[in-house]
Amino acid sequence: MSAVEIDGLTKRYGDVTAVSDLSLSVGRGEVVGFLGPNGAGKSTTINVLLGFLDPTAGEVSVLGTDVTTDPQSVKARVGLLPEAFEPVPNLTGREHVAAAVETKGTDDDPDVLLERVGLAPEDARRPAEDYSTGMFQRMALAVALVGDPDLLVLDEPSAGLDPNGVQLVREIVREEADRGAAVFFSSHILDEVERVSDRVGILQDGELTAVNSVENLRDDLGMGSVVSATVDAVPDLGPLQAVDGVTDVSADGSTVRVACAAPGAKMAALRRLDDRATVADVTIEESSLEDLFEAYTTDRSDAGEAESGTGAGAGDGSAAGSPADAATAGGDRA
Amino acid sequence: MSTATVARTDFRSIRRSYAVVGVVVAFAALSALVFLGSGEVHPHPVRTTFGLSALVAWALPLLLAPLAYLAVAGDRARGTITYHLGLPNSRAAYFRGKYVTRAAVAAGSTLLGVAVAFAVALATYEHAPDPGRFLAFGALSATFTLAMVGVFVAVSASVASRSRAMVGVVGAYFLLSAFWVGPLPVLNLGTALDAVAALPGVSVSESARALIGSLSPAGAYFNLLPELVWAGAPGEYAALQQFADRPDYLGYEPWVNALVLAAWTVGAPLVGYLRFRSAELG
Repeated sequence: MSAVEIDGLTKRYGDVTAVSDLSLSVGRGEVVGFLGPNGAGKSTTINVLLGFLDPTAGEVSVLGTDVTTDPQSVKARVGLLPEAFEPVPNLTGREHVAAAVETKGTDDDPDVLLERVGLAPEDARRPAEDYSTGMFQRMALAVALVGDPDLLVLDEPSAGLDPNGVQLVREIVREEADRGAAVFFSSHILDEVERVSDRVGILQDGELTAVNSVENLRDDLGMGSVVSATVDAVPDLGPLQAVDGVTDVSADGSTVRVACAAPGAKMAALRRLDDRATVADVTIEESSLEDLFEAYTTDRSDAGEAESGTGAGAGDGSAAGSPADAATAGGDRA
Repeated sequence: MSTATVARTDFRSIRRSYAVVGVVVAFAALSALVFLGSGEVHPHPVRTTFGLSALVAWALPLLLAPLAYLAVAGDRARGTITYHLGLPNSRAAYFRGKYVTRAAVAAGSTLLGVAVAFAVALATYEHAPDPGRFLAFGALSATFTLAMVGVFVAVSASVASRSRAMVGVVGAYFLLSAFWVGPLPVLNLGTALDAVAALPGVSVSESARALIGSLSPAGAYFNLLPELVWAGAPGEYAALQQFADRPDYLGYEPWVNALVLAAWTVGAPLVGYLRFRSAELG
């Protein structure tokens, strides 16, 4: 049984469609990152998951329970970090966590949870409305962790955190997943999503344009990697272009850049270059999630790409249709 | 369990803002001043409850309104509601918790104000106050403030923004208290009914006016006071005796007014909850 099962979710506000026919699942112990530009429908999806909004169409179940009819029964097993909420006025961070412990009826020690998220004891006893954004996020994460939830729903958990805080969130997410919890989180920090997620869902204008591991998304778009080699003299680039899996070759001064769609093409291209010139230095850049995100959320027609598909399968490796020129585009960006 | 946690959390929050202290101290001080200023004129404390009842009906709701209008709407505007409802709190438990704190402050400040008035009367009046009359006055006044706070919390739960909540609560106060049974010389229910009666072919009988007048919490409150607090009062005060010979209209019947007050006290929060239960939060 999946921790989250969304089937054909559509949410409309009058004439505006916030989410359209979204299908997605999150398995137990799995970390799924949810990406999308502002207004793509990420928070709307999360709000439906928690029963804050009623879907216009579709089915949404959390931990085996239909949350559209019975959101209450699963809340004790869900940890939520909402996006952009303000604290209860005049309550300390510790009191927020203690109230969550009391409500969930667990035996968690608020101080232990606050220590885990890196909120100092003296800060935990200050009014939460006086916190910096980072401190507040840490407190909110501690609230979400109360009761060892089976599902963690984190809406922009790293917003406002310093690099140490971002690293801490990453560690906690992995620890929770290792414990067996499913983690469903949205983020604008693509590096964070790439590092911690087992799969990534990319949302654009309310539609899920891709769901897969970053690696598979990279393969599907042909956005493999770029080999940059510094050579004594730039040779004829034709033989490099002919290597199977190489999508683009260019030279800039003494640097030759070879875009490779397939992993095996890198060494083959490098050997062929080494046969024709003296290679002094080599760097390899994988196409980043930022490239993928851009490729999936940029208007395909403007980019002159092939028709897009939708990949909403749950762990089935499906993804959006691969734009024909994406490999070159990715290589250029890398 | 979660209702208690929500209420405790909420009470802690508003207590630390000094809003509660402000309301309680302000009404207690006003009650004391009313009694201190009337001891020489009216030797019987029961006469001064006549003036205090006006304070309860027109000033106390205004003191309580700032405390009530953000009860739910404030949480929605700040997003704090996702903290509460992200935990295993049902919407009913959350609403109950919010209502309980505001109702407790309303009833508590009313009862304390009446208790202070009793103490001042005991210490400064020629005649000792009648505990029974003061108990009845306190209970009736507390019920009235509960009804008004129930309306305010219901408004707060029915809207999604602070501004709408403020406009709604001020509007509810003006309509149900200041307009319905209020001191405004032109803009009140009586002049509105006069305007309706002036239309061709329309007549509004006195009994109908009495019944319509009893339909707000303030109307029911003022209609119940003569029966429950001032009946047989000593001192021959004209202000209290004016109710002795009221016509036998349905609108003056104690049971009708008790029913109206009960309906507002229970019905307003219920309607507010039903609106909140189906609200889209996000």
